[in-house]
Amino acid sequence: MRPARAQSPLLAFRDVSIGYGTRTVLRDVTFSVKSGELVGLVGPNGAGKSTLLRAVSGSADILDGSVTVAGVPSASLTPRERARLVGVVPQSPPIAFAFRAREFVAMGRNPHLGRLQDLTTQDAAIVDEVMELTDTARLADQTVDTLSGGDLQRLTVAQALAQRPQVLLLDEATAHLDINHALQVLELVRSLSDDGLAVLGVFHDLDLAARYSDRISVVASGAVTAPAPPRDALDASVLSEVFDVRAVVRTEPATGAVTVVPIVRGADIAASVRGPVGLVCGSGSGATMLRRLALLGVQVCCGALNQGDVDHAVALALGASVVELPPFGDVDVTAETKVRAAYSRAAAVVVTSTPFGRANVGNLRAAVEAGVPLVLVGKMSADRDYAAGEATALWERAVERGALRVGDEEEAMSAVLGIIDGQESVDG
Amino acid sequence: MVPSTRKARSVWLAVLGVSLLFSVVVAIAFGAVPVRADQIAGAVLRGMSGRASGATDAVIWDLRLPRVLLAALVGASLSTAGVLYQALFRNPLADPYILGVSSGAGLGATIALVTVGATAVGGVVGVPLGAFAGALLTIVLVVRLASGSGRVESTSLLLSGVAVSYTLAAVTSFLMVFKRQSMQAVVFWMMGGLEGATWSYVAILAAMLAVGMALPFVRARELDLMLLGDERAAQLGVDVERFKLLALGCASLVVAGAVSVSGLIGFVGLMTPHMVRLVLGPEHRTLLPASALAGAIVMVLSDLVARVVLAPVEIPVGIVTALAGGPFFVWLLVRQERV
Repeated sequence: MRPARAQSPLLAFRDVSIGYGTRTVLRDVTFSVKSGELVGLVGPNGAGKSTLLRAVSGSADILDGSVTVAGVPSASLTPRERARLVGVVPQSPPIAFAFRAREFVAMGRNPHLGRLQDLTTQDAAIVDEVMELTDTARLADQTVDTLSGGDLQRLTVAQALAQRPQVLLLDEATAHLDINHALQVLELVRSLSDDGLAVLGVFHDLDLAARYSDRISVVASGAVTAPAPPRDALDASVLSEVFDVRAVVRTEPATGAVTVVPIVRGADIAASVRGPVGLVCGSGSGATMLRRLALLGVQVCCGALNQGDVDHAVALALGASVVELPPFGDVDVTAETKVRAAYSRAAAVVVTSTPFGRANVGNLRAAVEAGVPLVLVGKMSADRDYAAGEATALWERAVERGALRVGDEEEAMSAVLGIIDGQESVDG
Repeated sequence: MVPSTRKARSVWLAVLGVSLLFSVVVAIAFGAVPVRADQIAGAVLRGMSGRASGATDAVIWDLRLPRVLLAALVGASLSTAGVLYQALFRNPLADPYILGVSSGAGLGATIALVTVGATAVGGVVGVPLGAFAGALLTIVLVVRLASGSGRVESTSLLLSGVAVSYTLAAVTSFLMVFKRQSMQAVVFWMMGGLEGATWSYVAILAAMLAVGMALPFVRARELDLMLLGDERAAQLGVDVERFKLLALGCASLVVAGAVSVSGLIGFVGLMTPHMVRLVLGPEHRTLLPASALAGAIVMVLSDLVARVVLAPVEIPVGIVTALAGGPFFVWLLVRQERV
């Protein structure tokens, strides 16, 4: 009984302006959702994500352009006709009235029933089925005013599914749910979508959006971007622009989905520009220092890092300069020359507690040969030197030349800031 | 606990129906001249066939029966209005008296009375019509006042209801005094009373209640959906604006009828739907008829108390309902704040 897979989109926006009365919230919205497709909407609070859904559910005004649902202009639908095509799962507020859970779910059959008509056996079967699907059958006889937020939310999903809609709208439908129930609801929606439902969902959580959406649209500043695959839609530069957050976007191996790791808020980065400071790092040894230096407005150059390295991703997210190496590529002569040039312009270079091997010892050599003050974190030992003693030799050379040795990152930070401040006062 | 099956709810409706019948008989039997059940039955049979004769028949058929039936109809009307307002505003504290609708209906009725009330048609049609217009305008005004910031908050709804109620009641009292009615009439109107009951009142109110109850009953499921909020109701297929207009129209109609014949009687529309909901649950297909029956019982018994407690002096029935309903309202308010 699922809606058949149609070639034409089940939900289509064409040059739509949406708002309330005379106030326009969104302009020039054009995109569509096909049968079997789940499109996610992300964006800052108050950007108009819910308003976009309301244009379909009939609660916001379509000021210009056209919205069509299953080929029918939305404006011409009566509330009853609309409720047979479109189901909505809002964030359910608590309900103060003591409906039984099953009665509550059965309300979803309203648009299919005549006045005074009782549920037919077919209606009852649909109610039972959607309660089974949402794992709420065991709640059937409880009253909804006593249920937890999670149970109520799943009943609301059941209620929307009982409408047997062709289009399902999710308005942060999992925001109140714990992670287990959130996954349960989204897996269910995903499978219904795979069976032919067209889903348009507002997501609060970017990772869940990326994991469950076929395509994602970003809603910000009164505009809606064309839906794109999660990897493209949730680009680091987009996140910086839309949310003002510097983030690392990578594929999470455990799920195979794009994941967003926010590093700092753009607004928290100091406006002044200082430095630059060089950083010898890799495999995450430099990430926290990168973050702390960025917050203080200190420019950082990271030496040569491999694509896919955590420090590489963090450096890019924070706008630090990097000599980029292919995955598993060595710091060859060309790269080392570039790194040395970069380090030589730095106020100081910090050697983080990263281990060294043949592949990356070039960064350490470049730092030692750059001729600027060095700050060495920790000690060099056999379990850090996999470069046949070369790292140890370079380390000792640096110490002989008067490099500052510190115990941990904390001390390294104050040492670096001391050097920068000292130079600034001399320059001044 | 809330009965789950439709059958159990039918049983409850039957119990309420029988209780109402019993209350009516008891209310007729009590009074200055006590009458027996068989006398009542005889008088009703003779009255229905137009052959009422003798003093006992006259007491029963011309005085007690219309009064008791009117009480039942007023109670059912106020309860029905309470159910409708409570559903539309999702607020268990809403009732026609507290929202000021009763006062609005009263003012409308009074204006009709002092303008066209002297003519025969004006008295029968004009007064209820005036009351209806007054009730409808008042609820629109109260909701407008309460929704200054967009959403209708519980507190602001009640506050604007009370403010409008007092103002309109004062204007009404002024008009009545101005038109040289006795202060006693004003007091009886303000406190609510059924001493003016006649068969024509019974007929008019019965007709208004029939319309005002039938329409919402047919659309009981939509009333259920309204309890989920306007936006959710719309998402589930309710034409919210139209439906609100219809339901408010029906509520205004039954309030207008009740106020035209009995003045301002408070708290019946608040208490009964609430108690019925506690027992039978919020589904309107049961709640509407059950509240109407329960409201009728409450009103018949309240009027009985009003007639006999200081006999031969009658006290306004509104005093009886307020004595019971005031504390009930406070209890509800305290309970709601704890939630």
